[in-house]
Amino acid sequence: MSAIKTIKEDWAADEELGDDLPPTTETTVDGITTIVSWKLNNLDQKVKVTRRVRRRLQTQLVSHTVAERKHLPKFGLDKGKPSGPDRTTTIIGENLHFKISATTNKAVEVEQKEDIAARATGGKTVVCRKCKGNHFTAKCPFKDQLAAIDNVDGDGMDEEPGLDKAGGLQAKGMGGVGGKYVPPGQRGGGAGESMYRPRDEYPTLRITSLSYDAEDEDLEALFAPFGHVMRANVVRDRETRESRGLGFVSFERKQDAEKAMAKMNGFGYDSLILSVSWSMPREPRP
Amino acid sequence: MKPIILQGHERSLTQIVFNAEGDLLFTASKDHIINVWFTSNGERLGTFGGAVGGAKHNGTVWTVACDSESKYLMSGGADNTMRMWEVNTGKCLKVWEYETAVKRVAWSEDDELVLGITEQRQGQPSIIRVYALNREDGASQSDEPIQTITLTGSKATVALFAPLSDNILVGHESGKVSKYSVKTGEEVLVNEDGHRGEITDIQLSPDGTYFITSSKDKTARIWDSETLDEMKVYATETPLNSACIAPLRPYVILGGGQDAMAVTTTSQRAGKFESRFWHKLFEEEVGRVRGHFGPINTLAVHPQGKAYASGAEDGFVRVHWFDESYFRSRPFGDLEPEVEV
Repeated sequence: MSAIKTIKEDWAADEELGDDLPPTTETTVDGITTIVSWKLNNLDQKVKVTRRVRRRLQTQLVSHTVAERKHLPKFGLDKGKPSGPDRTTTIIGENLHFKISATTNKAVEVEQKEDIAARATGGKTVVCRKCKGNHFTAKCPFKDQLAAIDNVDGDGMDEEPGLDKAGGLQAKGMGGVGGKYVPPGQRGGGAGESMYRPRDEYPTLRITSLSYDAEDEDLEALFAPFGHVMRANVVRDRETRESRGLGFVSFERKQDAEKAMAKMNGFGYDSLILSVSWSMPREPRP
Repeated sequence: MKPIILQGHERSLTQIVFNAEGDLLFTASKDHIINVWFTSNGERLGTFGGAVGGAKHNGTVWTVACDSESKYLMSGGADNTMRMWEVNTGKCLKVWEYETAVKRVAWSEDDELVLGITEQRQGQPSIIRVYALNREDGASQSDEPIQTITLTGSKATVALFAPLSDNILVGHESGKVSKYSVKTGEEVLVNEDGHRGEITDIQLSPDGTYFITSSKDKTARIWDSETLDEMKVYATETPLNSACIAPLRPYVILGGGQDAMAVTTTSQRAGKFESRFWHKLFEEEVGRVRGHFGPINTLAVHPQGKAYASGAEDGFVRVHWFDESYFRSRPFGDLEPEVEV
């Protein structure tokens, strides 16, 4: 012990080491208890820990055996420790939102997001360019009337040719309904020009109960004998990149696709039986 | 709902159980030690093993079970032993030694019998042994089992005593559920039409007339204890490690996640580390509780239905006391059957 004392690591460190830590004190003022305890940190420096707690007595009726167990002395690794939870082994977690409801979790999440979005715009000052009201220009309730006035004035700005009525009134980049952004190619209802041929132009097969280990290449190799495969892909989870056991194969020619469907529906592949059907165009997203 | 987080283990949890009154929680883990906690405040009462010089498991503790009087505790581990402990003092009373690891232990309803399943390995078959215990003097126990059931075919992974303790309900690696007679050691009933993957947990309903199993095939199923008829199926999207039936309310709690090796490639948001609440009758998911950083290995529910606890691969145990809103919840409105609270 004395040998340790002579080596002074830090002038700020307390000279006293080890055994003689001041006792823990508790003082109660106005129902708030201040607990001052001392401990040594891993550099053997004394650390003062001050905790302020409000104690509330909760009464609970329990059976005799349970009450007796409460007074058992501790054993094993905790032998000799005082009663009460030890903060090194027990912590109270954050409050969890837990509600039993018939809706799935995903629906709840979407709702929350929309809530947040609504609040975010509510906090900012939004001024309508038409009526100076507290809303986006696109949602202005007077826009029809004011637009008419604008047109009478012959402003010219709103009379761009080729834009229909709704599009002309709204700020650029604003879509038709609900003020949501709509890409230029899809505005005004008509399909715009796209760089790609839409996928559905090729006869496409939908392959389900596909092995989770199958890759795009495997799928292509599997269907290549029937004709020229334009595209073969396996659907994966966006987050985990795990296969979802589903794939799409597009052929160049319809008769090849028909032949492939006739042959491969019910074909055993990697201990699973493939089911092949025509891929249905996806319904428009809400 | 504020969970109490218990961090008494250095490695992943293997099994947790409440005692009959629900005031104690026993937690077993791969770090060789069993902890016992007061559930009301999360205080640790003690550890079974861990004290210097004391007896302890010399390997992963796979399983733990407490009798209905909270007097004795049984445990089984990878050190090829089954041990009997005194709950109040943490003293090891008896050690049974085998050729292979003990994967599951269970008490009979009257606390007179105890069973242990040993692993199939190194040419050894999977064996269920049943012992009759001397409850007066805990330290003097017989080495010889009263019944030995050697399993042919798929090995047993989990088991428990059926009500009245005449039979043992067994879950197998192949997904088979079977029933063995304690008296004769013969297979009485079997149902192979349910699970398609290893059965990972088996827990009895409060009245014992049905039980739930969880499986690696991503489903949990409820079975009739008498006939082994399948009553309900809860199909999830992850392999399940544990399932239990909540008393008071018509819910079952399922926990799982993928294998430990796939954890690092999984986003926490994929929701595989949550305990899921399913409606017992309508087979619909009704809620989730998040919090763990790894797959949930084991779940236990308070025998009076006031709380539940989960133990996970991340080494934490979380004890959740239900809010009042849980007891009032009626997710399906008027369709909901009346339940006495």
